[in-house]
Amino acid sequence: MNQLLYVQGVPFWRNVVVLRWAVQIVSAILVIAVIAGFFVNVSAEIAARDIPFGYGFLDREAQIPIGESVIGYHPSDSFAYGLLVAALNTVKASVLGVILATLLGILVGVARLSPNWLLNRIALVYIEVFRNIPLLVQLLFWFLIVLSLPTVREGYIAFDAFYLSNSGVNLPWPVPQDGFWPWALATVIGIVVAVIVARRLHWRETETGKPSYPILAGLAIAIGVSVIALLILGPMTIEVPTPEGRFGRPQGGAELSGSFTALLAGLVIYTSSFIAEIVRAGIQSVSKGQTEAARSVGLSGMLTLRHVTFPQALRVIIPPTISQFLNLTKNSSLAAAIGYPDLVSVASTMTQTAPAISLILVVMLTYLAMSLTYSLIGNLYNRAIRFRGT
Amino acid sequence: MSAVTAGAMGRPPPPPPMTVGYVGWLRKNLFSSWANSLVTIVLAVVLGWALVSLIGWVIVTADWEVITSRVQLYLVGLYPKDGIWRPQVAVLLISALLGISWRTWGGTARGFAVGLGAVAVIVGVIPHGLDILNRILVLAIPAAIGLGYLLAPSLVAGRSRRMVGAALIVVFVALLLIRGIEGVPGLEPVNTRTIGGLLLNLLLALFGIGASMPIGIGLALGRQSNLPVVKFACIAFIEIIRGVPLITLLFMSRHILPLTFPENIKIDTLYLTAITIMLFSSAYMAENVRGGMAAVAPGQTEAARALGLRGWQTTMLITLPQGLRNIIPAIVGQFISLFKDTSLVFIIGMLDLVEMGRVTIQSNLEFIDNGREVYLFIALVFWIFCFSMSYVSRRIERALGVGQR
Repeated sequence: MNQLLYVQGVPFWRNVVVLRWAVQIVSAILVIAVIAGFFVNVSAEIAARDIPFGYGFLDREAQIPIGESVIGYHPSDSFAYGLLVAALNTVKASVLGVILATLLGILVGVARLSPNWLLNRIALVYIEVFRNIPLLVQLLFWFLIVLSLPTVREGYIAFDAFYLSNSGVNLPWPVPQDGFWPWALATVIGIVVAVIVARRLHWRETETGKPSYPILAGLAIAIGVSVIALLILGPMTIEVPTPEGRFGRPQGGAELSGSFTALLAGLVIYTSSFIAEIVRAGIQSVSKGQTEAARSVGLSGMLTLRHVTFPQALRVIIPPTISQFLNLTKNSSLAAAIGYPDLVSVASTMTQTAPAISLILVVMLTYLAMSLTYSLIGNLYNRAIRFRGT
Repeated sequence: MSAVTAGAMGRPPPPPPMTVGYVGWLRKNLFSSWANSLVTIVLAVVLGWALVSLIGWVIVTADWEVITSRVQLYLVGLYPKDGIWRPQVAVLLISALLGISWRTWGGTARGFAVGLGAVAVIVGVIPHGLDILNRILVLAIPAAIGLGYLLAPSLVAGRSRRMVGAALIVVFVALLLIRGIEGVPGLEPVNTRTIGGLLLNLLLALFGIGASMPIGIGLALGRQSNLPVVKFACIAFIEIIRGVPLITLLFMSRHILPLTFPENIKIDTLYLTAITIMLFSSAYMAENVRGGMAAVAPGQTEAARALGLRGWQTTMLITLPQGLRNIIPAIVGQFISLFKDTSLVFIIGMLDLVEMGRVTIQSNLEFIDNGREVYLFIALVFWIFCFSMSYVSRRIERALGVGQR
């Protein structure tokens, strides 16, 4: 590099290295100036206009009601704890939403490829209807439907265990007993062993060509260990909701509030219509020649699916699906419109007694952390499936 | 004469029965196996029941007065009554533009022109709550389409470039009409707070997508820059914006954006929102542009360099134009999702189409039970726009042959 600096006969203002550095430094100064200017301006205005800012409020008593909580909450708890409760509500909605939307999306996506014309068309209509209507409208609509259900007393009951009414859904749910942690430990060990065995069998299969069923074997080990431990330790009992009290409100089991039910329905239906399209496109992206070649080298239908179609389709399906998961998580912030106490909704209530700007920054950082987690998963996956050795 | 020789004489033997015609189609697509037949029958019963109850509800049970008595609120919000002709003229101008593009391009544009005209005629003729003046206005839409169709040869003479120019002029004039011009009698600027309903959604989405184009291109180029500071700043901006929900950005726009202006300048909520949506959209636009440029064959760059073009010339003259052509469908897709996302402005108290519907139900006791009608109407309006745009995007994609070159 140094040799370039002293090329004979080239004045320094035309020297490539000098020019590059100059541009670099000028652009650095510009970028820093813009950012610094923004911060200086904003903080000066905050000071000048007496806008409250700071994070001292986090330890104060929040004194706002939060409708539901995964970990328990009382208005005398601190702001920080209230925000944690709200963030967990967001996580609860998005994790459940991601799982259900994936299942429904795969179902609709496969239905879209069905040879049955009617099923195929219904899946198409489902996709085109739900992905072209704003999620907010869908949420408001589902919330309206939930609210117009009969009251708890006259609600719908299935098998004396599932309740549906205008205050939400009640279903049977396992309650952990004494043996829960030993059982959880046994299950984790089972999964670890299953993964090791599955990798080993997969390796044997690719090396020797003997069918070894790694996935089946792994699943059998994991589920087997868990079920046996379940039977021996008895870690959980299933609690069935039963109507109690004057209003016949079901108690026990899992209770999904009306707004949570509407939020979940909206998120799942909206996102599943996008996932269905991704799944359809992914499966169709595997060229027919691949299947035909696999069949002609003697693989059976099942083996073709497992070794040829699926791995190639997944490569196309998973990255956009992960970004749909991220979208679902961000979209769960629309809960504010239907009164589910998610992060955005709770934070906007808190702005009445705490500095708004500080709160918004906390909320944005939380979402940023969630989306970085998704990108991390996506990047790890992309690295894992990259074509090697060509 | 045997059947085989009959075939050789040019008359093929008839196909076996039950494989052709309606019966054959049904057997192949609906009743190919007993499982398929079962699925078909179950689905048909469920679908039939759902359709019958939906149609019954729409025609008999539903009370559409909540829509018909306040169409204006849903479409333009609280836009001043005496200036209402301005958005109406804007709609007629755009209808005429549709007529012109029908004559110029045919195909999809024809489908849209005919569809819109037919819907307008139906809405204008069937009996319901619209008054006579509105009916005439609705019926003027097909007239404007026809006028555009007739005038097209003299205006654009079938040239695509002139067509694009005409489109830009019409959009610009329409925006001017809606916003108003200072000092022109009859065209006084309207208070931006009064702009609401569908008009607000459309304006925000149009502005967001248009203004985010240059910023998005700049960010995409910056992200590929070999200046680390620029590159890092662009990546940080794009990833932060894409990582948080729009709703929190809108929230920010109300609390932080005003602080970046001096205190004596009061920035209108509409403009603050528009700026936020533009910034939001530009981060996504940047990723689209980057994807489009990455899809340009590397041979193009190499050829440009071999011909002696400099780095920036290669980008500006070779990679960027081809990249932008690649992403036209993606831009339409982004417009659709931005259009849907504009419904989030409820969080800062703006009365867009959705919020207008919600307010209507909640603040009028007589409409308290008409929520379903309102949301179905709103959903239908959004659906028509989004579905037709995604249809157009698919047509463009096919016409451009993206991925097939």
